[in-house]
Amino acid sequence: MNGEVLIKVENLKKHYLGGKVKALDGVNCEVHKGEVLVIIGPSGSGKSTLLRSLNLLEIPTSGSILFDGTDITNPKTNINIHRQKMGMVFQHFNLFPNMTILKNMTIAPMKLLKMPKAEAEKRALELLDRVGLSNRAYNYPSQLSGGQKQRVAIVRALAMNPEVMLFDEPTSALDPEMVGEVLDVMKELAAEGMTMVVVTHEMGFAREVGSRVVFMDGGVLIEENTPEEFFAHPKSQRTVDFLSKVL
Amino acid sequence: MAEFFASIQKKFILCFVDDGFWKWLVQGFKNSLVITFFAVIIGFLLGVVLATVRSSYDKNEESLRLRKGIGYYLLRFFNGLCKVYITVIRGVPVVVQLMIWYFVILVSQKNGVIVAVVAFGFNSAAYVAEIFRGGIMSIDGGQFEAGRSLGFNYVQTMIYIIIPQVIKSVLPTLLNEVIALLKETSVAGYVGIMDLTKAGDLIRGRTFEAFMPLIAVAIIYLITVIVLTKVFGIFERRLRKSER
Amino acid sequence: MKKVLAIVLAAALCLALFAACGTPATTDDTTAAPTVGSTAADDTTAAADAKLTATEGVLVMATNAAFPPYEFKEGDNFAGIDVEIATAIAEKLGLTLEIQDVEFGSIVGGVQTGKFDIGMAGMTVTEKRLKSVNFSESYAKGIQSVIVPEGSDLTKFDDVYSEFDAEGNPAAVKEGIIIGVQQDTTGDIYCSSDPADFGVGEANVIRYKVGADAVQALKAGKVSAVVIDNEPAKSFVAANEGLKILDTAYTEENYAIAIAKENTALLDAVNGALKALTEEGKVAEIIAKYIPAE
Repeated sequence: MNGEVLIKVENLKKHYLGGKVKALDGVNCEVHKGEVLVIIGPSGSGKSTLLRSLNLLEIPTSGSILFDGTDITNPKTNINIHRQKMGMVFQHFNLFPNMTILKNMTIAPMKLLKMPKAEAEKRALELLDRVGLSNRAYNYPSQLSGGQKQRVAIVRALAMNPEVMLFDEPTSALDPEMVGEVLDVMKELAAEGMTMVVVTHEMGFAREVGSRVVFMDGGVLIEENTPEEFFAHPKSQRTVDFLSKVL
Repeated sequence: MAEFFASIQKKFILCFVDDGFWKWLVQGFKNSLVITFFAVIIGFLLGVVLATVRSSYDKNEESLRLRKGIGYYLLRFFNGLCKVYITVIRGVPVVVQLMIWYFVILVSQKNGVIVAVVAFGFNSAAYVAEIFRGGIMSIDGGQFEAGRSLGFNYVQTMIYIIIPQVIKSVLPTLLNEVIALLKETSVAGYVGIMDLTKAGDLIRGRTFEAFMPLIAVAIIYLITVIVLTKVFGIFERRLRKSER
Repeated sequence: MKKVLAIVLAAALCLALFAACGTPATTDDTTAAPTVGSTAADDTTAAADAKLTATEGVLVMATNAAFPPYEFKEGDNFAGIDVEIATAIAEKLGLTLEIQDVEFGSIVGGVQTGKFDIGMAGMTVTEKRLKSVNFSESYAKGIQSVIVPEGSDLTKFDDVYSEFDAEGNPAAVKEGIIIGVQQDTTGDIYCSSDPADFGVGEANVIRYKVGADAVQALKAGKVSAVVIDNEPAKSFVAANEGLKILDTAYTEENYAIAIAKENTALLDAVNGALKALTEEGKVAEIIAKYIPAE
């Protein structure tokens, strides 16, 4: 838990239908610079909602989220500026189908960071090279496999030079044989010291790469610990039940 | 048979050659095309704006309400305005709208073609808006989220990410609207504009021949529509390439 | 593309064949009674035996009921000078009058093909129309008047011209002069001709579907003057403030009834009835009813 706090979530609540459904019911947590925070939990536990709240894709009902010391839940905050520093990877990749891989990666740096086209493309090609897809730069997303798409989605987010990467079940929609190639890219990223928040069902990844593991259920944090402790000595009965089903 | 062709030829000459009436067809066709072309541009631009406002409200109502900004009330107001506009335009026959523009709103505008461009353009916008709104709503929500998560604001996401995809998916429907518009301009004669239909009408009134001018007009419309369909088809295929 | 074009042309040709078969017969109307002699056109002696009208006992009159006071609609019924004169003629001939309200431009064509027995719509006798149909004796005089806004620079129609040739005939139209007319009427045809023929030229005429629209456009300043028959002109000026009729008319001409060329029997019958009605003073009475003497 060294490293300063990058994201601080305070008493975050997200209610639907006038409070009948509580997706998040008072969550407190912190993300430190350079760590890999892994969020696990059964489906409907609110883990995706929590992750999506971090860059306000979900607007919380109450509570606050401090990013780099700024409360981004304040309506006066320009969320777009902060989102540029928070890369996001989705379960279903969400590549832009009408653009080439290169265009997918350069449109945001060019339009938002005003990066010259040549520079943006050079950087994009370097990033693609790192994930072994530089030969795919001029293909369209539909010509790629799921694993390739997700690798592109990761480098598309990286092209904006984010301070933190948010992963929303990045391997859930992949065929089993493609999970490895995506996890490898994520491991590499973690090794380079990127701050990451990962919602996943990959317990192996959590154990191997995670700095901390958070278990959520019913919209609240049940327990958090280092991966070793978490998997070896779960404290809560709910955690025990969950782990018994997934391991 | 020879007699038949001779009679056809005689009628043809009477209707188009004798008094130079073919010039009316040319002039009328030109006016029909000019009105359609500029009305399509107005309709497209205004329609996209209307559709963006409408779908923005529909898609973001909840999140905007939660953030309680003035943006919510502004958007709500404009959404209401767009709804009223679309309802009124779609509820009133275009020929009535045209006459209202000509005799009531743009009273001082002497150029009938300009009035028609405005009337048909504003009319078409309502239809284009609904076509586009359907297109925007049909784009996967993940595309919005991907755009927003990269840091694009709402309008940028629309312009750079969503609209280009929407255009591709609504192109066939949009072509229908262009074709419908071309044919709708045939009521321009009501405000004294000589469009293609009116040109045929005039020839009919002068020669008392119904067949020749009507068939000529029909064939010109038909060929124009076939050409338009062809051109849009090429355009569409080019856009579709990326899907493969 | 070539294939499509070929199909289109073939379709057009088929239509042409149908139409060509349809045109020469005088009574191709599907509603026509089978008793009608289709040889009437070629054999005038047969006319005596042939029925006067397409449907026995019915006189079908085509008009464009938007030309007061000659023809207009009063609620669901037709009224006007032409309507009443036609009624009187039908009565004299022992026929029932049936009125068809069609576009002005379609009247002569319809009469020519036998779709209608007579055409009456404040129609003037022109050479062009005479090529297609016969006309009865004139039953009323038509005057093409010029309506302008009060205070207009135009005091007579000649004021629209900027130049005259050596013989004093008009040669050019003043810039900005636009004449509003009702499509296909005499005013339209005359005004659309070149200045040398006392018109203002195609480019300076705006044709409206109905006279009232031309007058509205005049009020809105979209046209400089409206040329239209005198009787409707009077009605329009009476109903709209700020308009006046120029003292000198544009033209004066005679109205007559259009009848198919082949149907000389009907032409004779109508002329006979008209003559009798005129002698009885019925025609003058009808006109006086709609156009009060000034």
